[in-house]
Amino acid sequence: MEKLFERSIRDASKLMKLTEDDHNLFRRVDQACDELLIPEFEKYIERKFNDQVPVILRKYDLMGIPISKKYGGGGAGTLVHSLTLERFGQLGLGVVTFVDVHQALGCMTLQEWGTEEQKQRYLTKAATGEVVLAYALTEPEAGSDPVSLKTQFRKDGDDYYVTGSKYLISNGSVADRLIVFAYPEGQAKGMTAFLVDSKEKGFYVDMKLEEKMGLFTSDTAMLSFDNLRVRGEDRIGEEGRGLAVAYSALLNGRIGIASGCLGVMEDCLNQVKERVSSRTQHGKAIGKHQLIQRHVARIASNLESARWLTYQAALKKEEYDGNKTDLGLRSEADRISAVAKYVSSRAAFESADSAVQCFGGFGYSILSPVAKHLIDTRVARIYEGTDEVMELKIASTVLGKDFEAYR
Amino acid sequence: MQLHLEGSEDLNLPRERVFRLLTDSSFIAKSLPDAQDAKVIDESNIEAKLKIRMTFLTTHMAVKLKIANVVPPGHARLYVEGSGSGSNMKITSDFDLEGDAATKMKWAADAEITGVMAGIGSSIIKGFAEKKVKEVFAGIKNAMVLAGPDAGHM
Repeated sequence: MEKLFERSIRDASKLMKLTEDDHNLFRRVDQACDELLIPEFEKYIERKFNDQVPVILRKYDLMGIPISKKYGGGGAGTLVHSLTLERFGQLGLGVVTFVDVHQALGCMTLQEWGTEEQKQRYLTKAATGEVVLAYALTEPEAGSDPVSLKTQFRKDGDDYYVTGSKYLISNGSVADRLIVFAYPEGQAKGMTAFLVDSKEKGFYVDMKLEEKMGLFTSDTAMLSFDNLRVRGEDRIGEEGRGLAVAYSALLNGRIGIASGCLGVMEDCLNQVKERVSSRTQHGKAIGKHQLIQRHVARIASNLESARWLTYQAALKKEEYDGNKTDLGLRSEADRISAVAKYVSSRAAFESADSAVQCFGGFGYSILSPVAKHLIDTRVARIYEGTDEVMELKIASTVLGKDFEAYR
Repeated sequence: MQLHLEGSEDLNLPRERVFRLLTDSSFIAKSLPDAQDAKVIDESNIEAKLKIRMTFLTTHMAVKLKIANVVPPGHARLYVEGSGSGSNMKITSDFDLEGDAATKMKWAADAEITGVMAGIGSSIIKGFAEKKVKEVFAGIKNAMVLAGPDAGHM
């Protein structure tokens, strides 16, 4: 049987020419995923962060997939990057979350907004995995409405000092550098982005959030900053441009999550195919019962529809990357990536639910491969833009700016 | 759930000796990993109770092993059939030995697993099986080295 990832590569090659470099990358990703399969499962059962993910990614030179070759990365465009996240998604969203946060929210944001000096200093290390990145926007009282965040900074000479809290930060306790967003002291506008050093005095991991519904193998933390010094040259973008930095990062992140969800559906389909072909009830394989076939058809259809949409979003983003001055292109990339994230995350959750149903009682055990997907994918409908924020965003592109609900 | 595993091992022992040990039910009984109790029934049959530990699951299995299709000096087959802890397994393993003073042992195993272990899925179980097979061969290699040159003579 053709592996589903190979089929994805074949399908993607109909949309764009894939190079030998791309195929080499896919082979390395495939090898890394094979090597990660058992550690990921073991860590999931132990409910611990899978610390083997960065180790194995470094081993296969995969930490910097979307970083330009100029800075030591793989130089992958958005569609090729999306395909790699799809393969990681077969292992589960825990792995995807680590990779997406480091690469899509971290590296790509630094690549887009960083100065040449920042890129030479940090992006080169992020490409090798010497530096792990995180993205700290969400706060206890600022989730879907990042404009209401409370973290503040004051400027003293060339340096900045940041004080505040960040909540539900993926890679939060394992990252070396974090992109942190804050307002100037006493103000509620002028949001600015900083690249914070986690080893700096005043950086605290208040809590590792391990009591989650799922996503056990991803690191999630609550952080606080107490007069945390950030060197002037570690500000990202201009002062007051933080929201633009934040939103551009989310555009990349959403395509990443949509891609990871494709992998989840592929694994669900593989697992279900095996299960319903071998499990016998009422004298025949359960896959021969038509109501089970309905679940199989649902997962396959979800995967197929989400896949093409996600690839289109990736290609549109790539088109925008080639023409950054075209704001119409940016809006279109933003819109379609929101649609892709919305459709793919919901499709993955529904597919995981169908897969659990096909597994019957064993599907409810966390030892079943599909229960992991069910509890992990729920968060994909929340993080990097909730279903509702995506709906508002998509609806406003249909109805026009006057109908933007959160204005 | 069907699984297929295959591989090869290099043993720094003469083929004749490896073959003799591999087809010796007493030697196999002593070398079984995870065995809590192993009883040699006759020159071809063994019954054992295994406690197989994986990170996520400990399975107690009563197994019957049968050495068959013995074709000196280089081929044998081992049937393993067992059940316990809600799981059942049937394994057929073929061994082919090559070489003279040193031996290359090629092996291939086909397993059929049903019950709880099957629910975990072949990709995960295969990964663990590969780890377990490495342990088995490490144990067999070690036991072969430790066994005296006369071991295996009935």
